[in-house]
Amino acid sequence: MLENAWLVPLFPLISFVLLVAFGRQLKEGAAYVGIVSLLSSFIVALGILFERLGHDAENYIQNFNWLTIGDKTLTVGFEITPLNALMLFVVTLVSLMVHIYSKGYMHGDERFPVFYTYLSLFTFSMLSLVISPNLLQAFIFWELVGAASFLLIGFYYFKPSARSAAKKAFIVTRIGDLGLLIGISLLFWQVGTFEYAGVFEAVEQGLVEPGFITLTAILIFIGAIGKSGQFPLHTWLPDAMEGPTPVSALIHAATMVAAGVYLVARTFPLFEASETAMYVVATVGGFTAIFAASIGLVQNDIKRVLAYSTVSQLGYMMLALGSAGFIAGVFHLFTHAFFKALLFLTAGSVIHAVHTQNIKEMGGLGKEMKITRAVFLIGALAISGFPGLAGFFSKDLILMSVYESGHVTLFWMALIAAVMTAFYMFRLYFLVFSGKPRHNANVHESPKNMTIPMIILSLLAIFAGYIEFFGFGEWITNNGVIAEEVEGPKWIMYLSIIAAFGGIALAWLMYGRDNKVKTGEPRGLHKLLFNKYYIDELYSTVVVRPYTIFGYVLKFFDKYVIGGLVQLSVWFSKAIGKIGSRLQNGQVQAYGLITIIGLVLLLVSLTAGRLLG
Amino acid sequence: MNLLELNWGLLAPELTIIILAAVITIADLVMSDKGDRKIFGWVSIVGIVIAIYFTLQQLGSPVEYLLENSYRVDSFGSLFKLIFLVGTGIVFIMSINYIDKEEIPHDGEFYYLLLTALVGAMIMASSADIITLYIGLELLSFSSYIMVGIRKKNLKSNEAAFKYIITGLISSTVFLYGVSFIYGLTGSTNLLVISERLPEAFTNGFDFYVYLGFFMILVGLSYKIAAVPSYMWAPDVYEGAPTPVTAFLAVISKAAGFAIIIRILVTIFVPIVTEYNFADPSQTEFFFFEATTYLAIIAALTMIIGNTMAIFQSNAKRLLALSSVAHAGYILIPLASMKSPLTMSIDISNMIFYLVVYLIMNLGVFTVVTIVNRDADTEDITSFRGLYHRNPLLGVAMSFFLISLAGLPVSAGFIAKFNIFVSAITVKSYWLAGIMVVTSVISYFYYFNIIRQMYMRPGRTEAKLRVSNSLQFVILLAFLGVLLLGIFPNTLLDFIYQNFNLADLFTVGFQR
Repeated sequence: MLENAWLVPLFPLISFVLLVAFGRQLKEGAAYVGIVSLLSSFIVALGILFERLGHDAENYIQNFNWLTIGDKTLTVGFEITPLNALMLFVVTLVSLMVHIYSKGYMHGDERFPVFYTYLSLFTFSMLSLVISPNLLQAFIFWELVGAASFLLIGFYYFKPSARSAAKKAFIVTRIGDLGLLIGISLLFWQVGTFEYAGVFEAVEQGLVEPGFITLTAILIFIGAIGKSGQFPLHTWLPDAMEGPTPVSALIHAATMVAAGVYLVARTFPLFEASETAMYVVATVGGFTAIFAASIGLVQNDIKRVLAYSTVSQLGYMMLALGSAGFIAGVFHLFTHAFFKALLFLTAGSVIHAVHTQNIKEMGGLGKEMKITRAVFLIGALAISGFPGLAGFFSKDLILMSVYESGHVTLFWMALIAAVMTAFYMFRLYFLVFSGKPRHNANVHESPKNMTIPMIILSLLAIFAGYIEFFGFGEWITNNGVIAEEVEGPKWIMYLSIIAAFGGIALAWLMYGRDNKVKTGEPRGLHKLLFNKYYIDELYSTVVVRPYTIFGYVLKFFDKYVIGGLVQLSVWFSKAIGKIGSRLQNGQVQAYGLITIIGLVLLLVSLTAGRLLG
Repeated sequence: MNLLELNWGLLAPELTIIILAAVITIADLVMSDKGDRKIFGWVSIVGIVIAIYFTLQQLGSPVEYLLENSYRVDSFGSLFKLIFLVGTGIVFIMSINYIDKEEIPHDGEFYYLLLTALVGAMIMASSADIITLYIGLELLSFSSYIMVGIRKKNLKSNEAAFKYIITGLISSTVFLYGVSFIYGLTGSTNLLVISERLPEAFTNGFDFYVYLGFFMILVGLSYKIAAVPSYMWAPDVYEGAPTPVTAFLAVISKAAGFAIIIRILVTIFVPIVTEYNFADPSQTEFFFFEATTYLAIIAALTMIIGNTMAIFQSNAKRLLALSSVAHAGYILIPLASMKSPLTMSIDISNMIFYLVVYLIMNLGVFTVVTIVNRDADTEDITSFRGLYHRNPLLGVAMSFFLISLAGLPVSAGFIAKFNIFVSAITVKSYWLAGIMVVTSVISYFYYFNIIRQMYMRPGRTEAKLRVSNSLQFVILLAFLGVLLLGIFPNTLLDFIYQNFNLADLFTVGFQR
């Protein structure tokens, strides 16, 4: 099975090609093409995971020479390690669920087949990114993933907000990608290979200077910051919620945004070799975790709350990786994918029913939407770290890793963020599902093809955490990453349980008990949080405006100086062409003459060269 | 010498084609005038496939020769023969669909002339004696002259044939005059003997004659590849010739020209040493590696003239003629970039790779041109209008061929251009690489003009454009070739590296 891993991205690619060619004719039948291809991918991915399970299973890598430039050979290929076997499983599973769910959610949309075309493109790129055995190939698919995300955020292109959100996502992540590209290029220049294995080997043998390792690691991390929406490049992710909700679940919660975390995990040996780089990763992650969670406390748009929650949770994963908690980071990546996708799908189900995203206009939905309410509760409990659910185990492991690594401040920040997480999740729960309705919509439970994926994901949100007891840590690290399983003091676990219950209780006191919605303008700290610390405004004045002015200057330069040069070169090449055409007068004797003149000129130039030289 | 003692097996690919041509000639005589001669085309394709098989068998065997080394089987010749055979096979498929009894009454002749032209090209690739080479050259040329003028009642076709033959004769004269100097200096027509004796003549004060011979041979052969200074026939002849013949001239005839240029120039001029450096052999100076500067000038002018003149063309075939002139300039770059014996093998491999890619994308383009011009009954670029809406797959394929001709990624054309760009950069010919990049940018102008016509201009009709199965097959093949070689260029590059051995050009081998 491992040698056939290339099949996993192949099926979505086939689906993409089919839908591009025949999408218009298939109409809503396009969904079946997408679902069947994803199901095939999922089965293969499952087979790969099982084959790669045992402790003695070997990694598999297959490379082909692609291009030879001078003495350097570029390769393409694929590889299977525990980390990417796990990722293949997560991506295909979540994508499959989203494919099924979208059949109900997108029903009746005019561009239904287009939606599935883009989904297939995205899934293909993401899966290819995961199995890439070298940085160059990974970068190509990294960009392709970004392009698919751009298309999907701007899916409702007739809405100006969706257009600008798509643009923003593209540009902001591009800043990160530039860092990544520079990092990759520097590594190639120094090490002479793009392959992960080659890079790690060079680092291990000390062929690369420590300062250089730090530099390239941080540059790669900048790429991850952009993709995973870490501070200060987090601003695009909440805006990306303009895309259809299934997209938010797949791309902006479970898979693509996790690609940044995946990249750091995949290049972990590089980071491990530099203490500074690790510290940067931990600090950025820890700060993002608490920073985004605090914004999430007061937002009123259900998807935006979840978006900030995603940013915050991704911060957790980065924090774990930066604290040498490789196992904890990857574990949280795994569990988070399920419960966050679940939460987004339930949010979609809610939006589908009431046609608004403002939680102040919801309330009391639990009565009609029993299934949605139940699975949302499971998701909320899981992410809050309720004992026994998936999030509890992974969050606990992160806290232990951070504590063990000795970053005391970051540890307390993470704990406070955990309280906040529980609070904003249950604020959502109470405002949406309990109390009296504050809307006039005729609410129904969503159709089966929406609820079934939600139920499957909710089961995973409950049980995914238990893999910790089946040697997950030992298994995930047997691909060469040196990371130890941490054993922290027991009180951390109790503290995290208290944090979860504290947050939930606080939410109940404020929103659950009397179920009143405050109206009026927010003030003070609330206002600061509501306006997301004014980061967008700050960027707008400090970066965007000067850039716009600079852009005008460039536009003038472009129009008159560059444009003039272009005109000149067009005129010049046309002039040469005219001379040539004039010689081409159709008379055969002229043609012969040119041949002879050519010969004479060559001989003259030779003689002249002799005489002068 | 007893002809019966010869190892005729060495000539198997050529003999297959010759027998085929003879059989078709006779069959054409026997068949009634009204009979459908398309069958000749299919029979020829089968014969070509057999010849390809024989050629593949010969790949990888050591150098062998016949008849006092005038005819030889080596890796260089075999690779080129494969190019000619595959190319001609596809031209046959195009011809079967193209030939119209009204326009070409002597269609039987068409088929066997195509075969004799092919034999000429194969002889050119595989001989090491100037006499044999010249016979191959003229066999190819004369067959082509007739094919160009085969539309007997078409004025343009007649004019094209006339111009082609006149310029061809001038070039042959210049070539032969150049060769006569070389013969005078060495007393032999055999390339390998010349290569032994010419260095002596060069150092004994006859260097100017060597230059004279070099230039005349170069100018004479520039005709076959349509490069400066004998490029001017190309637009007129390409326009007047039937489209499959145009494709043959653009692809096979040009590749044969490159085969003979590389064979003659490299074999006889490379061994000439101008200054030995015994202390440091790597610093030894060679005649050829200085003379390549002139090749670079020719390449540069060819690229500039081809690309700038193409901007003004409104006839699709004239445009493609000038585009093929421009490509001759590109393909000359690796030859012009030979500055030391070390890079020669890679440079020639790059040329062969480019020629293969050039073959695939051009045959694709010419096939589409055949279909579109037939349908619109005009050869103007406007015949492409609305093609995308009339047959989307055809439009996409054509766009991709043009993108490849323009040399943009992810097409084979990009890789081919990139390789020769690297050749030029490695020997620090930055100006030549620069001209290549600038002229390539100019070429976007006219390639994208065609693409614009296909997508953004309304067509004459909205009717679906039908394509026969065999042509669909050719287009699909070309499309896959351009795409796959763009993504996996190493499959072909490795094949060329493995099968091309530079030393073959200089070794005498053994007689069978």
